[in-house]
Amino acid sequence: MSVSSAGENVVGILRQERTGSALQDEVAQLFVESRQDVYRYLLTLGLHPPKAQEAVQEVFLRLYATLKKGENIENPRGWVFRVAHNHGLKVRARQASEEAFDPALEACLVARTEDPESGLIERERMVRFHHAVEGLSEQQRRCLFLRLEGLRYPEIGSALGISASAVGEFLRRAISRLRKVRDA
Amino acid sequence: MPNLVTQHPEDGVLLRYIDGELPGRKLRQVERHLKACWQCRTEVKELESTVAGCVRYRKNVLQAHLPDPPNPWPDLYQEFARIDSSASGEFHLVAKQLAARLVALFGGAAKQFGSSKVRQWGVALAAALVLVCAIWYQFRETPSVQAAVLLKRAVLAAEAQSTPARRVQVRTRVAQAFLPVKEPSLAPLRARFEAAHFNWDDPLTAKSYQSWHDGVTAKQDAVTTVPDPQSPALNCYQIRTVAAEGELATASLMLRMHDLRPVEERLEFRDNEWVELTDITDATTRDDGASVAAHVELPVRPVVPSRPAAASGPASISEELQVLAALHEIGADLGDPVEVNLTDGRVVVGGVGIPPDHQQQIHGKLDAMPNVTVQFSEGGAGFSLPGGAGFSLPTAAAAPTSSGLPALVEQHLGGQAEFEKFSSQVLDRNESLMSRASALRRLAETFPTDADLAVKDREVLRAMAREHAEAFARELAGLDRALNPLLVSLGGSAAPRTATATAPSWQPAALELARAWHRLEVSVSVLLGVTPGSAPAGQLPSDLLAAMGEVRADVDGCLHLLAQ
Repeated sequence: MSVSSAGENVVGILRQERTGSALQDEVAQLFVESRQDVYRYLLTLGLHPPKAQEAVQEVFLRLYATLKKGENIENPRGWVFRVAHNHGLKVRARQASEEAFDPALEACLVARTEDPESGLIERERMVRFHHAVEGLSEQQRRCLFLRLEGLRYPEIGSALGISASAVGEFLRRAISRLRKVRDA
Repeated sequence: MPNLVTQHPEDGVLLRYIDGELPGRKLRQVERHLKACWQCRTEVKELESTVAGCVRYRKNVLQAHLPDPPNPWPDLYQEFARIDSSASGEFHLVAKQLAARLVALFGGAAKQFGSSKVRQWGVALAAALVLVCAIWYQFRETPSVQAAVLLKRAVLAAEAQSTPARRVQVRTRVAQAFLPVKEPSLAPLRARFEAAHFNWDDPLTAKSYQSWHDGVTAKQDAVTTVPDPQSPALNCYQIRTVAAEGELATASLMLRMHDLRPVEERLEFRDNEWVELTDITDATTRDDGASVAAHVELPVRPVVPSRPAAASGPASISEELQVLAALHEIGADLGDPVEVNLTDGRVVVGGVGIPPDHQQQIHGKLDAMPNVTVQFSEGGAGFSLPGGAGFSLPTAAAAPTSSGLPALVEQHLGGQAEFEKFSSQVLDRNESLMSRASALRRLAETFPTDADLAVKDREVLRAMAREHAEAFARELAGLDRALNPLLVSLGGSAAPRTATATAPSWQPAALELARAWHRLEVSVSVLLGVTPGSAPAGQLPSDLLAAMGEVRADVDGCLHLLAQ
């Protein structure tokens, strides 16, 4: 490292520190807005709730550290889901000895008793829909869940390691299967 | 490629079309086709309907039934500070490398000149350079950033929270008083504050401290954690600022860690005089809640005659009301710290930390209005505070509890999961009640009397107030339904309410409602273990029922006055 590059580093760090406050605010704001969504996504990936919550925090701190280094992230929410997906897979691999988390959503849906009259038809529809979602392939389900969180095809592709056109194809198949349930 | 016979788009193209994923040429092609083809337009509608089904699934199944996080979400700012301190470690590494380079550079120069003395001087100079840089960075920049961030958060938290009445004790070397200060003997103190550019009218607030802090260019900050002087079980942040200029030599502000409320402040002047300000609201409320109210006075406002809005001439109360009504229409008078002031013949609308989309919405609503200036600070880089979320109330398990009541509540509800669900529902309702109470209080404070207003203006004002009061009453009924069975099963009984004096108009009634709501909200927080309580646990259910009855009577009274 030359003296000038070391000096640039020092200046860079100090400059980052000055803008750190706004950066912290931005990341904290995104954290407040998106943490529940990321957390739920990680649960659908099979992480147990405490691990999922830890992972969410880890992802947002990584976002902060990355932005602090001066890297440009065009869509931070998309970045967060991509990193959460990959980090979640690693965490799940580490908890391989445990069963994947099963939220028992069907039991929750069946047990719902509020609003008995108007809720019954909707509940049955949701149970059917849930079965159909469960029946999707893992790739189709991942694409669907990430699309539901607002990610674009290239972002989903980047998270899952597939091309954007493959994402389009997985989504088409998923929507086609879900449509049959909706029409049933 | 399109099907050559029908020219209908291929499978999947329409989904990519509604998802905005088609490239320009293909997009135009599909758009042209859709204009002509009923069949494909229907297909698009079908797809959108399935997409809507997916969105409903996300909301009604995933969001509603996946378990909530087991722990309260952490304060990310503390974690940021840890990352920053490790970045500071990186800085030291860079500094070390820089030192090595400088030593080599000066050493090389010394060799060239062949003098060991020059070499020694070179090494010393390099080390000194790095040291100065490190000290400057470590002790001036980072804590300043921390202090600034903390102050900003505290200001936002204060704006999002309702603080109907505060009792502040002022102590100096020779005198003691309570705010608002009436004693003439303390008049010189006001002059001192003014000379130091420190807001005397509301000194124990993050905003006042921030305003002074930002005005001092040469200063040194330190942020530490100290026990809360009033509740040693809790912690506070302490910001201490040493100023190299101005009348104030040192200032320190203590912010309660869980809600960032300022509890104590000490200001030391250059001539060694000092002032200490302590928030004793909690202590006073515990002893005599009603007495706090006696110290609250309606703010004095210059009287500007009400008149119909005009395209020229200075703004009147009518125009201010129109602005408030416009903000009310888009819900911008709830939650967001949007400020509306009538100054120098213009209605000035502003605020700090308003999310950019809200700012845009407000601009859209107000920009065309005459005599209105919309000016937001901080470019919307602040927090999103939907309904005051974020800093208004920590989650149920966030604070230690002094009584065993939350455990008892948990037992009554049938376990921790049920307790968490219950407390989250109650806290959500609290937020909504708080935003309505704050909005109503703001209207009552801004228009302490509506007798002088034109009939039309009075109607606009009262319609807004009535809407807030009605929404408050509805939310309160929901809270009552949720809490009442639990409180009765915990042994609570509602004492018959003693008759209270009827307020002369809706404004004082609204202020009283805000105060009564604050007392109820604190009791609910104690019940859920969010705030430690000092009263015996067994008494709380009855106290809560009584507080609920009081708030109910106040909102009924307020609605009655608004209907007149």
